[in-house]
Amino acid sequence: MRRTPRLHWISILLGLLVLMCVVSFHAYAAIRPEPVPVAGGHRELPDGTLALAFHGGPDPKWTPRTLERLGAAGIKATFFVTGAQVTRHPDVARRIVAEGHRIGIDGFRAEGDHVDPLDLAFAQAALADALGVHTRLVGAPAEVDSGDREYQDIGTLVRMSLAQRGGVVRLHDDGSIGGDIARELAKQPGYRFVLVSDEPPEKASTRERFTGAVTTWSQRNGGVVLVLFGTAIAIAALLGLLRTLMQLGLAHTDRRLRRENEPPPWFAPPVSVVVPAYNEALNIAATVRSIAANNHVADVEVIVVDDGSTDGTADVAEELDLPGVTVIRQANQGKPAALNAGVREAAHDVLVLVDGDTIFEPDTIGQLVQPFADTGVGAVSGNAKVGNRQGLLGRWQHLEYCAGSNLDRQILHALRCIPTVPGAVGAFRRAALTDVGGVSDDTMAEDTDLTMAVTRAGWRVAYRPEAKAWTEAPASVHGLFRQRYRWSYGTFQAMWKHRGALVENGPMGRFGLLYLLAFHLLLPLLAPVMDLFVLYGFLVADAPLGLIVWTVFLLIQTASAGYALRLDGESLRPLWAYPLQQLVYRQLMYVVVIQSLITALHGTQLRWMSVRRTGRLMDAPGGSVHVT
Amino acid sequence: MQVFVDRTGGRRVAARLVSWTVASGLIVFAAVVGGTLLGAW
Repeated sequence: MRRTPRLHWISILLGLLVLMCVVSFHAYAAIRPEPVPVAGGHRELPDGTLALAFHGGPDPKWTPRTLERLGAAGIKATFFVTGAQVTRHPDVARRIVAEGHRIGIDGFRAEGDHVDPLDLAFAQAALADALGVHTRLVGAPAEVDSGDREYQDIGTLVRMSLAQRGGVVRLHDDGSIGGDIARELAKQPGYRFVLVSDEPPEKASTRERFTGAVTTWSQRNGGVVLVLFGTAIAIAALLGLLRTLMQLGLAHTDRRLRRENEPPPWFAPPVSVVVPAYNEALNIAATVRSIAANNHVADVEVIVVDDGSTDGTADVAEELDLPGVTVIRQANQGKPAALNAGVREAAHDVLVLVDGDTIFEPDTIGQLVQPFADTGVGAVSGNAKVGNRQGLLGRWQHLEYCAGSNLDRQILHALRCIPTVPGAVGAFRRAALTDVGGVSDDTMAEDTDLTMAVTRAGWRVAYRPEAKAWTEAPASVHGLFRQRYRWSYGTFQAMWKHRGALVENGPMGRFGLLYLLAFHLLLPLLAPVMDLFVLYGFLVADAPLGLIVWTVFLLIQTASAGYALRLDGESLRPLWAYPLQQLVYRQLMYVVVIQSLITALHGTQLRWMSVRRTGRLMDAPGGSVHVT
Repeated sequence: MQVFVDRTGGRRVAARLVSWTVASGLIVFAAVVGGTLLGAW
């Protein structure tokens, strides 16, 4: 036995964080705040000395024009660029440097956007990527305003630029006539031109260049990542909608057909009930008593197979001393072996297989065997219900059993491809079990494996919602995780084992496997992206569309869950807990799917993870069944 | 032997190698980029 892999969680969490940062940075860089000129320290220049400082660029149209004017006039100037613009037009930035001009930073997204050190770091990263430099020239010094934002008359602009007979002159290269002013200033007698700083930029460090490459990539490609996010969400939304529509449509049709069809005569074959049990001392007495108290009109024998329990499960079952109950003891060999041992011992041809923690209602067996009246039916699934619905976790599982599993089962029943007859309540025809060679231990979900095998062998699998059985759901998040991890991993194992069904003519390949693939693998894998997108839209992009879609979706699903509860004859009261599922329960479910997938890739042998029993099934008929 | 279980151990070693490489690569990546940007902050 090996430890289950865990390292991938670091990669997944960091990967999601990186993706979130990429799209957030993309959104941040796209915003253009109002420019705020921030005057730096005063640069002392002698009379008749001008330092031309251009702002707002690099611009693909106006900066080259400015560079041409400066080149023609033989003037070297200083360009205070914005980082986001450098990323957009790196060639223009490179040309500025190549023609001997000085580069400074004005900000990241707009002039003055360097006051926040993080913005300055973004701007430096952009420069490092485009030019391979780091500059200390951040923010222009106090300047003489040329007035090129307000005025057009070149004479006025030249006069304003020379108002102090020297100094740093503020010009723009993002759409103004800054280049023309420079040309006119060059013609003024008695002036010489210098750079704002004599200090050349330093070479950027490798770390800065790498960071620059990352921020540049994010600014340019964040949109693509967003489109990918959007596509994933669209697929998830479509799948979710499809499932809801199928659930409502098919479940309704299934019920209607049942109502409209004349009920066949009551079928009452003798039945053998096999109860595999491992350390079920707390529950086994209640389980066996409830089975023995059945009102089935033919013989019912009960075979308890104790699979090497260490808590006296077999003793508890024997002490009950109930007629028709046999207890078999075997060394611990696993649930499939226990089931096979029970089936070998069984006298009858209709076999009810039930977990050692399940409570039957008096008519459960009678109801469960009805579909066997049809000789083509090889297996029947009953209706498993949560017996301990106290607390949020119990309610959530109760809702999931009704709105998820049972409704799913009705759809799949209509499509004739039920993939799982649950271990909690199911019945098999002996001939079907013989056809598939008994219960296999190839997977951790022997019930799914067996059901798929029976379907592939040509038998029909039916669903009998009236055959209710009450089971104990895990009472802790940890217990729930372990149970679902086993189920999910086991289902993937069974899907892989029976992948050949895809090219067969039967319903398992046509619908069953595809259904599981779409709704039990793909949908949970896409769900984290949806959560991330909602967070992004709400917190970063100020675009609550994601939240609206999510809320509409939640309302549809809640309505669907309400319908499922009604179909099952359950109270609608626990429905209030349904929206809260989205905060913990759903995430737990996709964590389970991801963990299962990674475990499968690693090829790790998963241990059988038993769920801690409490023996309390308060909501089952008979109330608390706690045995002390 | 159960479905998916690696008989030889080769797949597990390869998967661990990939897992370690991806995780450590991402950690270094996040440390360099985050460190450079947040260092300035």
